[in-house]
Amino acid sequence: MFKLNLKIAFRNLLKHKTASLINISGLAIGLAASLLLLLYVQYQWSYDKQFGNSENTYHLMVNFYGTDKSITGTTPQVSNVLPLVLKEESPEIENISRVLWASRRLVANGQNSFKVEGRYADPDLLRIFKFDYLSGNPEKAFDDPNSIVLTETIAKRLFGTVDVLNKTVRFENQANLKVTAVIRDLPPNFTYGFECLTSWKLYENLNGWPAESNWGNYSFFTLLTLKNGTEPNAFNQKIKNTIARNTGTKTLEAAPFVYPLEKYHLYGHFTNGIADGGQIEQVRIFIIPALGILAIACINFMNLSTARSQKRAKEVGIRKTIGASRTSLIMQFLLESFILTIVSVVLAIVLVELFLPAFNGLLNTKLQISYDHPGNWLAVTGLILFTGLIAGSYPAFFLSSFNPVQALKKTIAFKSNFSLSFRQVLVIIQFGFAIVLIVATLILYQQLQYLKNRPLGYDSNALIEMPHEGNLYPKFDLFKDRLLNSGAVTALTQSSGSIAFQNSNTSGLEWHGMRDGDKKISFDLIQTTYDFLKTNNIRLIAGRDFSKGRASDSSALMLSETAVKQMGFKEPLGQQVLFNGKQRPVVGVFADVLWDEPTRTLHPMAIVFNAENSDVITMRLNTTRNVRESIDQITKITKELNPDFPVEIKFVDSLVAEKFEHEQMLSIISNLFAGLSIFVSCLGLFGLSAFSAEQRTKEIGIRKVLGATITGIITLLSVSFVKTVMIAMVLAMPIGYLIMNNWLMQFDYHISIGPAVFILTGVSSILIALFTVSWQAYRAAKSNPVDALKYE
Amino acid sequence: MIELKNIEKYYANKGVKSYILRHVTTSIKQGEFVSIMGPSGAGKSTLLNILGMLEEPTYGQYEFMGEDVVSLNERKRIELYRNHIGFVFQAYHLIDEMTVAENIEAPLLYKKVPGSERKSRVADILDRFNMVAKSDLFPNQLSGGQQQLVGIARALVAQPSIILADEPTGNLQSTQALQIMDLFKKLNEEEGITIVQVTHSEVNAAYGSRILHLLDGVIKEDVVVQQTV
Repeated sequence: MFKLNLKIAFRNLLKHKTASLINISGLAIGLAASLLLLLYVQYQWSYDKQFGNSENTYHLMVNFYGTDKSITGTTPQVSNVLPLVLKEESPEIENISRVLWASRRLVANGQNSFKVEGRYADPDLLRIFKFDYLSGNPEKAFDDPNSIVLTETIAKRLFGTVDVLNKTVRFENQANLKVTAVIRDLPPNFTYGFECLTSWKLYENLNGWPAESNWGNYSFFTLLTLKNGTEPNAFNQKIKNTIARNTGTKTLEAAPFVYPLEKYHLYGHFTNGIADGGQIEQVRIFIIPALGILAIACINFMNLSTARSQKRAKEVGIRKTIGASRTSLIMQFLLESFILTIVSVVLAIVLVELFLPAFNGLLNTKLQISYDHPGNWLAVTGLILFTGLIAGSYPAFFLSSFNPVQALKKTIAFKSNFSLSFRQVLVIIQFGFAIVLIVATLILYQQLQYLKNRPLGYDSNALIEMPHEGNLYPKFDLFKDRLLNSGAVTALTQSSGSIAFQNSNTSGLEWHGMRDGDKKISFDLIQTTYDFLKTNNIRLIAGRDFSKGRASDSSALMLSETAVKQMGFKEPLGQQVLFNGKQRPVVGVFADVLWDEPTRTLHPMAIVFNAENSDVITMRLNTTRNVRESIDQITKITKELNPDFPVEIKFVDSLVAEKFEHEQMLSIISNLFAGLSIFVSCLGLFGLSAFSAEQRTKEIGIRKVLGATITGIITLLSVSFVKTVMIAMVLAMPIGYLIMNNWLMQFDYHISIGPAVFILTGVSSILIALFTVSWQAYRAAKSNPVDALKYE
Repeated sequence: MIELKNIEKYYANKGVKSYILRHVTTSIKQGEFVSIMGPSGAGKSTLLNILGMLEEPTYGQYEFMGEDVVSLNERKRIELYRNHIGFVFQAYHLIDEMTVAENIEAPLLYKKVPGSERKSRVADILDRFNMVAKSDLFPNQLSGGQQQLVGIARALVAQPSIILADEPTGNLQSTQALQIMDLFKKLNEEEGITIVQVTHSEVNAAYGSRILHLLDGVIKEDVVVQQTV
């Protein structure tokens, strides 16, 4: 029976080509989306779990308390001394290691030099994570501070081989380090990934200041493992007062606690001390549309199967009279849906392979299908079972329920009102979902444009920056003169951070006439010397930029418009502001700069004169000259003055564009999913309209004989479908509005949703639906009535 | 073999009962060849459907081979007609997606007859009906008479004890119709298969051994046919 049913299923598939095509393409798209989702979820799910013992690994965090003893903030970064104190005081801690944020570090083997992602960490890190060692001993790798652990790729790039133990690497042009271990490349879904690892001791030796205990500098990540049987909650209670006790504060201002590393990536965002999400939101954003499209495709299958039921009814009747039980019929119809699903899965895998690179680029992931992984096959089988059952169950139970006598007499009581309206309900669900996505897409697009049009406060065009490093420190003035004289740039400045994104802030400024609580105002902070406003083209509102002619300017400061407003200055120029224990005069007021995320409100900003703290050199290109030539010239001069470092020039406008990455990604994803869901929904509508036209052939023939026009018939056939889509619209638009309004509310700076979005959505979905059904209607209307009637 | 007692069938519509069958009481013995005749709407097909357990009587008693059909559950009933009843329809009702051989094989599959026996039975019956050459064709590639032959072959392959035929020749030309009726007669006489057919045609009815005349749901006449040898 099974073999025969299989054969018949294939024959049916080939015989009803349109329906098969609609079902398979729809299901393939839905399944491809779901497969991508599975890959993505698996990728996110295995974050930080690759190196064993992950269930026992914790991230040290700190809660900050307000005056009313409620938690006001949570940070994953702690002071450099807290981990040391904890290790000393707590026998429960097995291993504990500080980890520095990853930065580009210069490594060199002779002339072969380049920058890699590097981190500093305590020796315990190699005990917390069981990396895969190609050579070296993790227990001894950091016995000597002048050691370095390399990944396979970097070892090969530096030396051309992985057999590099005890070879010497020149690090940051500052120290000669011995390679003590080579590990396999780290997976991309690892929060603390690196390409080279050096010891914390080296960090202290090279920089000095990190060696000094400082309870107030919350800058460093810390990972730890607890000994078996340690209850983390009890442990947290125990360490709660560590900071207060050591800093001598009477009230609890900051309390450390440990948080499972396994949850850190997906649920690492805290509000008022409670973990309320993180990357999991990104997973959710993806889950709903992916499953939605699969559901739409399943609905297509259900609708087309039941619509075709009158044809199948006869077969059901016959099979019942020759002895088929209902169960065997249900199995037969399920088999058909499974075959369709399997064909679609194969197609879906092809689709996934085709679009995976683009998808990876979009989400910044490195997903791939591993065909040799039995778990993946299990997941695909699960997906097939799920889809086949969802899509096939309704038709199977519906079709197998026919009474043979009625089915064979063709007068089958279809309970026509019910079954038709059930189909309509399903179509309403499909289009409702598609319409919500269209609304979301349009609003996302509007918001994105709105953000992009927000004034930056500086001119990011023709603005470039490079790291301030190596010989560029002692030779900065020479560098500046040579570049200005070359004509490649028109202005140049050094600063503590890039103008493109917020990288430093400070609080605790004091000034005359400040109110209670003003000390807590957080100021965006840029430290620089001369020509900062000129280079960045920031508008000066009052006063002047730091000027070389005035010696007192080397301890001066400038404020942004918002800062002046918040500080309550009527006459800001000449006011004294206490910063870092030094009274500084305000010499200038400048127009606001959008430094933080473009969705946030403007912060007050202070630009402070400080030649000692500089990481970035910013230059304005001479726009009258060829950009390529200017860049070449800048590269040449930089290389000449600072030969040990590669020249890394970045365009500020592309750095600014990165700030829109998240919104841009959401916009692309919603575009994609909205397009796919409307496409798959329309496939279904197309199939239903074809069926309806076919069913009403006789009626159309009679109407034409009686003198109906083609337009009249098209209207007759299309109107019910358009009505369905309109109901979907009425139901879906408020949902779309609520979801998107809710989404916009999380931003300080957002559009308000206007009626245009809904008008556009409404008109376009009706047009698309009308276009889809009217083609079938037109074909039916054009047919010769004699053909339709002669068989009767 | 079949005992009907006081069978009634009606549809209630807005409180008005419209009767299809009234007080039908009769019995059919093993080996009989019964024709049910009567004008359109007399209830012939309904009676046949009730005999074939495709429809349930509203009221009355039906015993098939000593078993009370009305009280049987679905599974038992399917079991009964898998093993004992073959249907032949006016519109043939072959499954369009199956070849001739597959159509004939289908009831055996539902009966869970083992593969080798299935093959031999199908081959045997194709041979008997002279259709070996057509075994791989689909129904729409055959003439009406050939399709009905397949229909009968399908009914016979499960070796039923009774064949229920609803106007088996209604869609056929007269020569083809005669062939079919000859076949029925042969099956009845040589293999002892009980046959109940619904027909409009006196000629067809003459092939049988007994005629039930139905009018407005009531058996008006029950006559034994004088066999013309």
